Amino acid sequence: MPYDVTFERLETQALHDLKGPREALAAWAGDALPPFPDQPNTKTEAGGATLMFIGPDHWLLRADLTREGTLDAALRPAEAPPEISLVRVSDTLAWFRITGPDAAEVMAVACPMDLHTSRFGPDGAGFTEAFGLKALVTRCADGFDLAVEQSFGPMVADYLTRVIS
Amino acid sequence: MAAGNRLAAGGRIDRSKPLHFTFNGKAYTGFQGDTLASALLANGVRLTARSFKYHRPRGIVGAGVEEPATLVELMGDDASGNRPATTVPLTEGLAAKAVNCWPSLAFDIGAVNQLASRFIPAGFYYKTFKWPNWHLYERPIRKAAGLAAAPSEPPSKGHYETRYGHCDVLIAGAGPAGLMAALTVARAGLRVMIADEGCEAGGSLLSRRLTIGGTDAMEWVDATFAELNAMPNVTHLQNATVWGYREHNYLMVTERAPANPSLLERTWRVRAGHVITATGAIERGLVFGNNDRPGVMLASAVQAYVNRYGVAPGKRAVIFTNNNSAYAVAADLAAAGVEVRAIADSRDAVPDEARAIVPGIEIMAGKCVTEAQGTRQIRSVAVAAKTGGSARILSCDLLAMSGGWNPTVHLWSQSRSTLRYDDPLATFLPDTPAQPISAAGAANGALTLQDALRSGAEAAAQIAGTTPPDIPDAPDLPYAMEPLWRVETAKGKAFLDLQNDVTVDDIHLALREGYSNVEHVKRYTTGGMGFDQGKTGNINIIGTVALAQGLAMDQVGTTTFRAPYTPVSFGAIGGLREETVALPYRHTPITEWNLAQGAFMYEAGARWRRPGYFPRAGEGLQEATNRECRAVRFGVGVYDGSPLGTFELKGRDVGRFLDYLYSNVMSSLKPGNGRYGLMLSDDGLIMDDGVCFRLDDHRWIVSTSTGHADAINGHMEEMLQTRFPEWNVFITTVTSQWNNATICGPKAREVMAALGTDIDLSPEAFPFMTVRDGTVAGLPARVVRVSFTGELSFEVNVAPRHMRALWAKVMEAGAPFGILPVGSEASHVLRVEKGFLSLGHEVDGTVDAYDLGMGWAMSKKKSDYLGKRAVQIRREGAAPRRELVGVIPEPDRQIPEGAPLTPGGRREKTEGFVTACVWSVVHERWVGLALLEGGHARHGETAHVRLKGGEVIPVRVTAPCHYDPDGDKLRS
Repeated sequence: MPYDVTFERLETQALHDLKGPREALAAWAGDALPPFPDQPNTKTEAGGATLMFIGPDHWLLRADLTREGTLDAALRPAEAPPEISLVRVSDTLAWFRITGPDAAEVMAVACPMDLHTSRFGPDGAGFTEAFGLKALVTRCADGFDLAVEQSFGPMVADYLTRVIS
Repeated sequence: MAAGNRLAAGGRIDRSKPLHFTFNGKAYTGFQGDTLASALLANGVRLTARSFKYHRPRGIVGAGVEEPATLVELMGDDASGNRPATTVPLTEGLAAKAVNCWPSLAFDIGAVNQLASRFIPAGFYYKTFKWPNWHLYERPIRKAAGLAAAPSEPPSKGHYETRYGHCDVLIAGAGPAGLMAALTVARAGLRVMIADEGCEAGGSLLSRRLTIGGTDAMEWVDATFAELNAMPNVTHLQNATVWGYREHNYLMVTERAPANPSLLERTWRVRAGHVITATGAIERGLVFGNNDRPGVMLASAVQAYVNRYGVAPGKRAVIFTNNNSAYAVAADLAAAGVEVRAIADSRDAVPDEARAIVPGIEIMAGKCVTEAQGTRQIRSVAVAAKTGGSARILSCDLLAMSGGWNPTVHLWSQSRSTLRYDDPLATFLPDTPAQPISAAGAANGALTLQDALRSGAEAAAQIAGTTPPDIPDAPDLPYAMEPLWRVETAKGKAFLDLQNDVTVDDIHLALREGYSNVEHVKRYTTGGMGFDQGKTGNINIIGTVALAQGLAMDQVGTTTFRAPYTPVSFGAIGGLREETVALPYRHTPITEWNLAQGAFMYEAGARWRRPGYFPRAGEGLQEATNRECRAVRFGVGVYDGSPLGTFELKGRDVGRFLDYLYSNVMSSLKPGNGRYGLMLSDDGLIMDDGVCFRLDDHRWIVSTSTGHADAINGHMEEMLQTRFPEWNVFITTVTSQWNNATICGPKAREVMAALGTDIDLSPEAFPFMTVRDGTVAGLPARVVRVSFTGELSFEVNVAPRHMRALWAKVMEAGAPFGILPVGSEASHVLRVEKGFLSLGHEVDGTVDAYDLGMGWAMSKKKSDYLGKRAVQIRREGAAPRRELVGVIPEPDRQIPEGAPLTPGGRREKTEGFVTACVWSVVHERWVGLALLEGGHARHGETAHVRLKGGEVIPVRVTAPCHYDPDGDKLRS
């Protein structure tokens, strides 16, 4: 096989888009959130959830889909004060996991961001491009998770199949 | 010497691995490590090409990417056109043929052009093929133009790839300077990428007999790479050309033989912190009569064939030079057993160190070759004093010429960094960098080995912030030269650009005709164009222009260096983007179901692939569309409305933000209610139409058209970030968080009831333009009462994970009511019947709301909103407006969309056009919409469509709405 990698499309992930001042979000969400990452384009993990710092006053909370209801109940999006925004966006992204010794090589085909460990460490998480599409990239054990707008899922699967074939 | 022109020993070829190949159908043998050019020379093949314009016989001139003469077409699995033979690695079974000759290379009919050459100088076709009409000549000229054809089929195996790369330092070139630079920065711990275009690293060291640190220079190369390749911070790309240099140190590198066996070629898009161009130098030719005859070669190429490939390109050689470097070539030829008749040196004084390395070889100082003699192969040369006088004829079968060296500044110049002319070297050198870039080695004018090594180390040390390492001893002949731009000659054409058959006379003609700027000279004569981009000839063209105009070289300047530095396959640029991924495409979860139903799919904006219609056996587009329309008008249909852009807006200021974006008032909406609105641009034209629903005090849902969703998202963010940064508004895209099945038609409520829902569906409890959250078919859903078809509609929104289940249940529950899936074609018909606008049809970038009869959507209450002032100003003008009307073709027939309306159908300035024309299942006739000047006041009149060809179709002008003008059905 040209590239020693495997990829799989992950099940839908529980995702919440969080916007607003960090202090206000922390005050509203309480223990429902992992600690806020200090650096942009990084993530923190706690209690099975991952909090990604993806833009100014902008975070993405990720967990297994089984926790979606629990997180919804804790975050109470419809009741949140106007200075913050919490929106469930679990279905907006299609997730792919690319793992193996050549995962970085395959990612380099897809993605213009520098994913070298010196630039994009184990806590790396950020939006970039993949195959010309807006994409979220994070590190996972032995590889990367790549997420694109859900409707582009079939196309990215097509692309990845072509890369590794 | 061995058989043919192959030397008995020497070279970097593997003589244990013979390779068989054909050229023009004839079989030959070479060795692993040969190029096609070296193998042809080894086999004594001298005539290898015909020239582009005059079809003059040509041979191999260079040994690398500078080759201007011998282009070949490769066949079979290697099929590709116009490859310089010098850059084609020899492989077993390689099949190549010459281009631009017919019926054969030896007997080429096109050579008749030589007889007419005085009548076809530069630019002749610009002047000649004008009367009576260029198109009379176009076809035969197109047929005659060009060289090899592109392969008719893509490669049968493997694929191309593009990828990204990042490094602290990218080094272009793995010659002595590049390697020294790589060592220096790599040892400092920087991430280094070194790319070299040769099949083998070493650059000029591969062709020269030099030592570094007292050992063979190639041993130093091997040791250096052993060290580099052991470092994890080094990426080494061999047989990889850095061919493009863009802004922000973004460079293109194409590997021609990636290690990955499934890849044909791979292009790296590299973002480098710093770039070092260690790209060496290219030798330039000399300009004299018949300087294109087979056997006239660059001296450096001759040296490469002798030392690297073990080939003697001739048996009796003359050297013609204006500099020292050719003396080493003479010495190498003599050492290989080739008779060197003489060295004609245009300089009056030849340095002693040059003389010292060619003992026993006659040196003709102050002499020039004025003419090469022979047609298909050089037989002799005429040598005369530089100042003129009688010539001495020297018989020979090889003329090795060296006009000096041009630093390879292509990448440097592509980076928009400047050049300066250097008098001692008589060439252009890197000057002021425009990006983080350094030049090193011969590419920076360091033309001896020791200088090149030092130059590479110093450039790298400066980047790394370290002290340059010690430079090993590397003895080399000092470089000294005197420019010689051309030799006055009375006989034979003196070529400046061999590839495009551009002569000194052509340049003079261009100058006489007023093309005095060097860029104009290039365009008029084609000098410096083509595959080699004038690598050997450009400087001589500049010199010729300078001489003719009495200017200094820097006053003439260079033409612009552009990417690619060498030809690149289209495949290597496109990479994986072919077939199904040539363009982005988007799917909803229902795509598979649609395909299973035989839907005809196509793009429906923003790269969404949607069903156009669902044909049944024997049905065409019209029949299927009619059937689907009837279902919606008289029963029930369902369509997948998921691609509509959807945004959730949150914050205290959302209401006034929407009031600014939309032309009507949104802030007055109560929770659970929605409103249709128009979004205008700064200039008051319609940008988008959509609906806003208020979920609660601070949360809203905004729905946009499919095709404009991304643009509107950007527009909203821009407004928010640039005009109202202090406003409390958050925008979240939820287009893909909600999929929807829109159930529409008189029986829609019955289907909804059959699905089962906890929402009260009565028109009183759930009226038009309201939203309700609840469950439908047991699934959590948000149901919206909007209508794009003019019928009672329920837009059932669910999470995409539930969409397939919802769809299946809708089809099941709707089956008793005859529900049908509806495609985009039927949606189009239904909205035309209703007179609903469509972006791209009625909204064409020129109309405002009043033109569309939607003045009601322009708020009179709001003090301001985007586009308001622009609309006011425009409507205060007296210019007639094209206004939306309905049209009924009389007689009943279809009118092409876009067909112009002209006064009385006469051939006059148009007064509008038909935006849509569809078969109405309600009226059972063709109906349409049009934008017509003063249309609102012309209802009842007859207007006229004028088709291409003059056919005129009368149309009755009506109100735009052809169906249910009061909206009773959609509110039902």
